[in-house]
This record gives sequence, C-alpha cells and structure tokens, in this order.
Amino acid sequence: MSTDYSQEKLTLVNELIYQIKVKEAMSKKVIFFKENVTFREIQLKLKEKKISGVPILDKERNIIGIVSIDDVITAFDKGYVDKKITDYMSRDVITIPQNFSVVSAINRLEKFKVGRLPVTESLDSKKIVGIITLSDILNRLLVVVQSIAEKVQDKEVNNTQISHDLIKRVERKPLRFEVKGDDFDSAGRVASITKKYFQNLGISKDIIRRIAIVCYEAEMNICLHSLGGSMIIEVNRNNAVIYAHDKGPGIPDVKLALKPGFTTASEKIRALGFGAGMGLPNIKRYADKLEIKSSLKTGTELKAIINLGVRNEIK
Amino acid sequence: MEVKDLIRVLDAEVLCGEDFLGQEIIDFGASDLLSDILAYSKDNYVLLTGLTSSQVVRTAELTGAIAIVFVRGKLPPQEAIGLAKSHHIPLLKTDNLMFASCRKIAEELKKEEKNK
Repeated sequence: MSTDYSQEKLTLVNELIYQIKVKEAMSKKVIFFKENVTFREIQLKLKEKKISGVPILDKERNIIGIVSIDDVITAFDKGYVDKKITDYMSRDVITIPQNFSVVSAINRLEKFKVGRLPVTESLDSKKIVGIITLSDILNRLLVVVQSIAEKVQDKEVNNTQISHDLIKRVERKPLRFEVKGDDFDSAGRVASITKKYFQNLGISKDIIRRIAIVCYEAEMNICLHSLGGSMIIEVNRNNAVIYAHDKGPGIPDVKLALKPGFTTASEKIRALGFGAGMGLPNIKRYADKLEIKSSLKTGTELKAIINLGVRNEIK
Repeated sequence: MEVKDLIRVLDAEVLCGEDFLGQEIIDFGASDLLSDILAYSKDNYVLLTGLTSSQVVRTAELTGAIAIVFVRGKLPPQEAIGLAKSHHIPLLKTDNLMFASCRKIAEELKKEEKNK
C-alpha cells in the first residue's frame, strides 16, 4: 500500500470557519424595534436601511420576535399593515450564541432558510448583542485570509538574513540516527539534537519548533510502535526534510492512522502521556508536505518536509 | 507573572533550575497528554502536568517551555531532573491537584490584571 496524503490537506477556509467565532464576524450595530410599532413603520425602515428583517426587542434588549420583509408583504396582502406587529410577528426566533463558531451560523442559516441570525450573549440568554448574515461571515473570512497572507509575506522578508552559504554547506551533510524500538528513555534524543542543529543555522523560532515537534512525533512512533528504524534529517534547498524509516510491522490502514484520536497504543504507552492518537495528525499539522508509505512486509517510510522560509536565490 | 512567583502561588518546591526562575511567563499549559502539549503550546509557557517521565522534560524542551510544575505532589525520576538541569528548565513540585493549581494561577492573574 502506498499513499501520498499531501493533497488531502483541509482548505484554509474550511479550517477557518471552525475557528472564527460568531462574535468576531457579527455586526454589533443592530437595527431593532420595540413591540409597539406597525408593519408600515418597519417597512419604511427596511427600505431606508436596505435590510430584509429586524429583530423585536424588549426594554432589556431581550429578543421577543422578528419581522422580515416577507411578514410585511403578508401584512399588505391581508390588510393589517397599519396594525401593531404584536399579534402577528413570528415569536419563534432562530438565534445563535456569540461564542459559537461561524460554521454553526452557516448551518442554521441554511437549515432554517433565514437571511440573518440575531446573536445572543450566551446559550441561555435572550439578550441580543449583534446580528449576523452570510455576508458578515464572508467579510470576516476575507479579512482573516488577508491578514494570514500578510503574515506569510512578513516572514519571508524576515528570513532573508539567514546565510545562504551556511544552508549550502549543510545541504551536503545530513544528520543520521539509529532509533531503537521499545526504548522510551532515549526517545526524544533525535528531536533534541535536530532542534540544536537548526538553531545554529539561525532559522526562525517558529519553524524550528515545527521541525522539532515533527521529529519528536516521528521518533516516538518508531519507539512506540515499531521494531526499530532510522531517521535522516537533511536540508534540501529551502526545506528541512525529515525521513523516518522503520523495519515494521507496518500500518495496515494509513488513512485511519491519520485520523485524530485513532490509536493502537498499549496501556504502557498511555501511561507515558502518549498514545492519544495525535502523533500522525500532529505531524500532518506542522509539516508543509507529508508522505507516508507503509507495507506490512517492509515497514513504514515517512517523509515530512518543512519549508525553511529562506528566499530562493538564483543559482 | 514570573516563574518564581509560582513558588508562592502554588506553595511549590523547586527541584532544580534555581538560576532560571526570573523568566516572564507568557502562557500556561495544563495537560497529562503530551500530544496535546505538542499540538497547542506556545513559546515561553509553563507546563503543569501529573506525568513524571523523562518524556515530559523532552516535550517541554522541544516546545519552548520555561518551567514544569508537577502537580499532586508527584516526584519525577532522577533522569528527568538530570535532563531538565542540562536544558536549564526549572522543575517545581506542588501538592495542589491539577484543578486547584490552575484555579490559583487564574486568581493570581486576575489580581495582576487589577493592579495594572
């Protein structure tokens, strides 16, 4: 069995909609009405503000209902447009707490076919602190994506001072290590030496951290799950390349092993604080590219690549 | 908050690294799952844990921790202390449980916030 999982990365937006909270995306300025207005008054406001619905709040800003443009049209139709909304407005209001992620907001907007969700202070509160629409969410997403792009740019600029000569020199000298199976006490040695090695190259702290963690998890995998193997860490152009090979027994289902939480660890391993099923998912999280080849006959080969952030020079 | 403030806040004993207690703490991480620490910790953080193996010290070193607090009065093995010494990571021990330790730190942080 041989699989390349680098293509399978979650898209950025997919990850972001789980991270961004409703609070960050919502509009805090809520146009609302008290209960004592007519449909006509609301219709004028909707027209003026170019919006398609308003929440109805009480004195304490607790939500008691909602009136949408559809409700106004119905009121025209049935002839009660000049009456107070109290007896006609929908009182089943779909809301969302401000600490939920925007993915829940998207789901609710779709499920209940509404254009906006009033945002409550918390799950068990009716107090309205904002309102959220699909376009608010899109706006916020674009802002976040842009700031990520800017950060990446800054990093590239910051890293140009790393000596290219130094990188060239180490390109020819990869680090090689034997890793024993079932040897918990010395596990982490490879990662520790590798960390020092890259510190000496003057690579940025954040990237060293990712290299160290990838090494450590790969090393732990050999120690915990295999009959032993070896690791090679080399610098190849702009990348740190971490190879971890073991002699077996191989991973029967690589896809399953990459699932966060999936584990085959023994009690002994768990007692050490490992075996939570986060090893390969962590490697995937921190590496820019990950390839895993595993066979029940020849063991497992892992190759993780982390970009060092040094700008390419024309050779 | 500095690492040495934890001695007072948690009524903790310093096992090693007395010379490195002056560092400013940026964040805390409390877990008995090293994989979680590897996935979510920030630089210059203090690790609170109930685990005592040498791997705790390895994880701390690799993730940029500036101290480890062993909760529930647990004592790490000599190898772990040796490893921590060589990497200049102070080890502290408290009799407080994990939850109580976290609560006391949170209270202290609140107090600091107020005094600002």
